[in-house]
Amino acid sequence: MRSSAVSLAAGYVVLGIVALVSFAAPLWYAWHVTIQDGRAEFLQSDAQRLTDIFRHDGVTGLKSNIDARVSMQIPGERILLLTDAAMHPLAGNLPAWPSSLPALPGNYTLSIGAGARSNATALMHVATLGSYYLLVGRDNKLFAPLEARFWYGLAAAVGVLLIAGLVGGFMTRRELLSRIHSIRQTVSAIIHGDLKHRLPTDRSGDELNTLSRTINGMLDQIELLVHGVRNVSNSIAHDLRTPLAELRARLEELALLRPTTEETYAQIDAAVADVDRVIRIFDALLRLAEIDAGLRRSGFVSLDVAEVAAAAAEFYAPAAELKNIELKFQADGPTRVPGDPVLLAQALGNLIDNALKYAPEGGTIEVLVRRRGGGAEIAVADNGPGIAQDEKAKVIERFYRGDSSRGTPGSGLGLSLAQAVAKLHGSTLELTDRNPGLCVLLALPPEAAPMAAANAATTPAAQTASIAATAAS
Amino acid sequence: MKILLVEDNERVTQFVVKGLQEAGHTIDHAANGRDGMFLGASEPYDVIIMDRMLPGEIDGLAIVEVLRKAGKRTPILILSALSEVDDRIRGLRSGGDDYLAKPFAFGELLARLDALHRRAQGINQETPLTVGDLHMDPLTRKVTRGDRPIALQPREFKLLEYLMRHAGQVVTRTMLLENVWDYHFDPQTNVIDVHISKLRQKIDAEFDRPLLRTVRNAGYTVTASD
Repeated sequence: MRSSAVSLAAGYVVLGIVALVSFAAPLWYAWHVTIQDGRAEFLQSDAQRLTDIFRHDGVTGLKSNIDARVSMQIPGERILLLTDAAMHPLAGNLPAWPSSLPALPGNYTLSIGAGARSNATALMHVATLGSYYLLVGRDNKLFAPLEARFWYGLAAAVGVLLIAGLVGGFMTRRELLSRIHSIRQTVSAIIHGDLKHRLPTDRSGDELNTLSRTINGMLDQIELLVHGVRNVSNSIAHDLRTPLAELRARLEELALLRPTTEETYAQIDAAVADVDRVIRIFDALLRLAEIDAGLRRSGFVSLDVAEVAAAAAEFYAPAAELKNIELKFQADGPTRVPGDPVLLAQALGNLIDNALKYAPEGGTIEVLVRRRGGGAEIAVADNGPGIAQDEKAKVIERFYRGDSSRGTPGSGLGLSLAQAVAKLHGSTLELTDRNPGLCVLLALPPEAAPMAAANAATTPAAQTASIAATAAS
Repeated sequence: MKILLVEDNERVTQFVVKGLQEAGHTIDHAANGRDGMFLGASEPYDVIIMDRMLPGEIDGLAIVEVLRKAGKRTPILILSALSEVDDRIRGLRSGGDDYLAKPFAFGELLARLDALHRRAQGINQETPLTVGDLHMDPLTRKVTRGDRPIALQPREFKLLEYLMRHAGQVVTRTMLLENVWDYHFDPQTNVIDVHISKLRQKIDAEFDRPLLRTVRNAGYTVTASD
């Protein structure tokens, strides 16, 4: 049987029949026994009555009584036979004493009749009256209609069960098949490369819907990852080509022009610096890919956000001083959350580094750690030019660099990396205006749940956020 | 120093062997894991440079583990194209003393080898450090130059302590990041240089002889000699 719905229905039908039979069988047995007992008693009292007649009126009285009864009876309903000691019939409606019946008092079930009804049975009661034998019996076929009705009832119940099971199974199968068919169509569209498709779901919470929703969550995550990979390859093509082209030009020029030794050494130093730039971008990309894949969760420990942030602020303090920027640090006190201290320090470092690039001479950068809902929130704020509303989503994109930042050093990956770290910790970066300036918020929930964040990507708000983080175009 | 290099790539081998020889070291080279394990176990080396991925059945980490189990305490620097934090942790856990990702600058390799060798010779953490007329007492945390006391922030103290423990050697920016700040990432800007110039202000500015010097294309060194 190919369809699981049909085999399930068949299973239920078999189970139903078994239940029905196990209910009917003892009932039938009990009924049978009760009837049999009742009839045996009836025969016995009949025999008793005939015995009384024999005692009063002798064998002649009994004979005429039996003859009278036989003549009134529908043939076969009651069996009566009186014989003498030699088993010769004296009265009754049986031609001869049945050969298989012993001439001993008691109750017997005997096969009678011949031909078609060969399986017909009768219940016999044998009594001895002096030297005479009396046989009182009753044909069981009287109860046959009742029995037949019982069997018909049982057969009808089984039939109804079978039909209901088959029809139900068939309908369930059709319903299931149509839903599975639509799932299969969607999935094959996805296999053929269109990741935009999603499985159809409705509001009901049945198993197929739950499964579809889970699969949709998985597809969201896969789409994000694929986007990420596509982005990385685009970025590699775009951002590594430039320094590689410069390096190539430099070396080719060197080979072609053969300048003075001094000049050659200077060019070689510059070439090494070019290579270092390429390596840097490469490392940043690999790190990003690693974080995006969620592999870095192994580095999670319980850390004090204030401590990590204080160390980062302290690390960048001399650089701020050099630019005559005031770097302020303030924390609510130790706040412990689960996280990766190395990545968090790197993300924070990137945010502070970014702020240092944009804050004006004599400006201020504030690094604040606040407790929020059992977790923590880090804010890095500067009083630089800020970011225009429509550019906010773009700056988190890989390699995006605002027009104003052309010429400043950096891989263009700082904010994307901070965003990836935030995602790993179960949140997203939030960019807000300070008028003037930019404030970047990094929330750290008490229990980091990156999978929950991925699932939440189906809600519109989270979707725009994650698209903003990964969109290639 | 007598150094063993276990590395299968010919270009890298040529580059490292030539550089180390020029720096005055003696080099043995093994191109596969079996030879590397044999040499490492039988010869006395000051430092072993071990490539992580080697041809054949034995990889670098396995050799490190075997050598450590055999009781060899030779400092080992692991070279690897795998640069992720987890790879690094795995490398150090197998018994390596330091981990350097490919591609690397030769200056970085040399500086790390020196530091490993120095560390293996055993330094008393509490011995006062002296470079020229600059003194540091790690116990009382007092720093003086000549007879003038110098006040340092805790991190500046740690930075100077690391430099002085490696006096006369080149210390790279990455080594400082890893050992003074415990940061295992590229901070993008030249923050280390700013920290160094602040420290230089405190220990060198008012003296004729600078002790903290920049080594071009490599890093920094603290030395009293010229």
